[in-house]
Amino acid sequence: MLIQQVFNGLALGMGYALIAVGYSLVFGILRLVNFSHGSIYAFGAEMAMVFIGFQFGIVPGIIAAMVLTGILGVCIDKVALEPLRKKKSMPIASLITTIGISNIVTQLLIVSLGSEKRNFPALFNFGSIQIGNIAVSSTQIMMCVVSLALMMVLVFIVYKTKIGLAMRASEQNAKAANMMGINVNFVISFTFFLAGVSATIAGVLVGSYYQIVYPNMGYMAGLKAFAAAVLGGIGSLPGALLGGLIVGVSESMAATFLGSTYRDSIAFIILIIVLIVRPHGLFGRKGITKV
Amino acid sequence: MRKKRLLAIALTAAMGMSLLAGCGKSEESKDASASSGDTVKIAVAGPMTGDNSEYGIGFANAAEMMAEEWNANGGVLGKQIEIVKYDDKNTSEEATTIAQKIVSDGDAAGVIGHFASGVCMTAAPIYQENKMIEISPSSSHPDYTKIGDYIFRNNTVIEKEATASVDLAVNDMGKKNIGIISIMTDWGTNTSQVVKDIVENLGDPDVKVVAHEEVMEGSDDYTPAITKLNEAGADVVICCGMYNLVAPVAKQYKAINPDIAIVAFSNAYSQQLIELGGEAVEGVCFPVIFFSESEDPTVKEYIEKYTEKYGAAPSALTSQAYDSVGILLTAIEEAGTTDHETVKDKLYEVEYPGVCGVTKFDENGEIDKEFIKVTIEDGKFVKMGE
Repeated sequence: MLIQQVFNGLALGMGYALIAVGYSLVFGILRLVNFSHGSIYAFGAEMAMVFIGFQFGIVPGIIAAMVLTGILGVCIDKVALEPLRKKKSMPIASLITTIGISNIVTQLLIVSLGSEKRNFPALFNFGSIQIGNIAVSSTQIMMCVVSLALMMVLVFIVYKTKIGLAMRASEQNAKAANMMGINVNFVISFTFFLAGVSATIAGVLVGSYYQIVYPNMGYMAGLKAFAAAVLGGIGSLPGALLGGLIVGVSESMAATFLGSTYRDSIAFIILIIVLIVRPHGLFGRKGITKV
Repeated sequence: MRKKRLLAIALTAAMGMSLLAGCGKSEESKDASASSGDTVKIAVAGPMTGDNSEYGIGFANAAEMMAEEWNANGGVLGKQIEIVKYDDKNTSEEATTIAQKIVSDGDAAGVIGHFASGVCMTAAPIYQENKMIEISPSSSHPDYTKIGDYIFRNNTVIEKEATASVDLAVNDMGKKNIGIISIMTDWGTNTSQVVKDIVENLGDPDVKVVAHEEVMEGSDDYTPAITKLNEAGADVVICCGMYNLVAPVAKQYKAINPDIAIVAFSNAYSQQLIELGGEAVEGVCFPVIFFSESEDPTVKEYIEKYTEKYGAAPSALTSQAYDSVGILLTAIEEAGTTDHETVKDKLYEVEYPGVCGVTKFDENGEIDKEFIKVTIEDGKFVKMGE
């Protein structure tokens, strides 16, 4: 049973890791915790469901949802966050704004699609693999494969491409980067786009794992992914992956040994312990000012 | 700077105007209801937004449909019926505010609603204290009607329903090792306890509850709880939760153990269960007091009308709300007044033939009905054993 629960937790954790990446990407550049990310994730999943419903194929539907959600991320930045940056408002103002946006996005989803849970097609349904008395479903395996692949793509983008170089430069010193001819605003928009795309992939994977999507799905998942991001060291991509897996597995363990009622608190208990022992998270760098 | 100040003035003015407008409107509406009183108002309270909103909207749709039918025949007491909707978001806090608003306005003939048992039980004392009639189409917690004589329910109390569910699992399916999975709400915790007591009192030493898992409502991932139930050797699972628990549990359980039998309660009886659960909910069964595939012509006509009007077949609870409004209006008609005390007394006497069979409240404001055992076959609800 223990090993079975570890596998359940790993699949769950991969979902958190993909959402946590979005927090880390934006935090890396803006030093801002983007609390609207949970609702962006729900938006991505709902849009994927809507587009897949249009019957022009599952893959084009998901790609359309990714692009749309990416654009939503860019719009949020352009409409609400960029004006605040230009006015050099306090960081707390941007933080509150993201919480507000999170509510707006969720409520708009409820108004337009309704609050009920809807069926999401199972994307990887090839049955399950039996190893001894452990059953690992194909969806769980595919979740891990897709998440790892996406994580590698993101690491490639950030460390091996020109735009990634620009991202890292803006992260270190936005002003200096600007003087070197980097269009910082474009880099920020690109980051939000990337965060939106990864959130959609997370939404699609988690949605097809449980075969359920609904507008409020991003609330708890978003908070736990945030815990995962901080746990791994916010701003760090491998940290987000490891943090997500730790949160997922420990949640699964807590549900097994303490009862399902404790599963939601365990992520935050671990978070608090890690922050006391290692204030910058597992992979975090020192010298980051936290909000 | 000047621009900003102008903007500030404009905004302040707009705010002031809207405040004034708000005042004017509320005064106006109060005057209208107090002086003319040319409509009979029935309040419908339930979750219209947020989680579970489909239930509250179902209540409101059913109430409006019933009111339209009465209005087409001249209304009640020569007056038109007006349905006033209140959104309690299925939270106790909102429900308290709404209950206080309804009793302080005082012009509603009665309240149909509040959805969850816990929410009903926070609002009910306010109604009781102010002599306002409340009929809940959904509450099944045993303590709910004990709050007072103005408090009714058009739903069976959970003991009776749970007895029917256990009977389904043990006698109809012939299972002996019962697993329970329940949501962490007043209703879920109480229901799981009731099921345990019933199984204990069956007097059959072979039948036992092998495991009980409590889960958070809407946590989506039930695999840890399911793995535990499966390890404990459950061959039937009684799901104490709504369709949004039953569908994912059925899916996730059948991925681990395709032979598992699942028994649920009438509040999972909704078209959405089939939409959400797909193939996994085949064979899930539960006891209901309203069955939409019934051959009864009144039920057929009602289903057709509702489906045409709102685009989906009504659930059991929606139909119970539909009957609740009918019962209240019949009581008003027979009492010849909307005076709460007279109508309340009348409610204990009315025998109402509705879409959920004949409804009659006993001295506690409870109803007792025969259960119909329903299961899902080929994506449709069917009566068991037919």
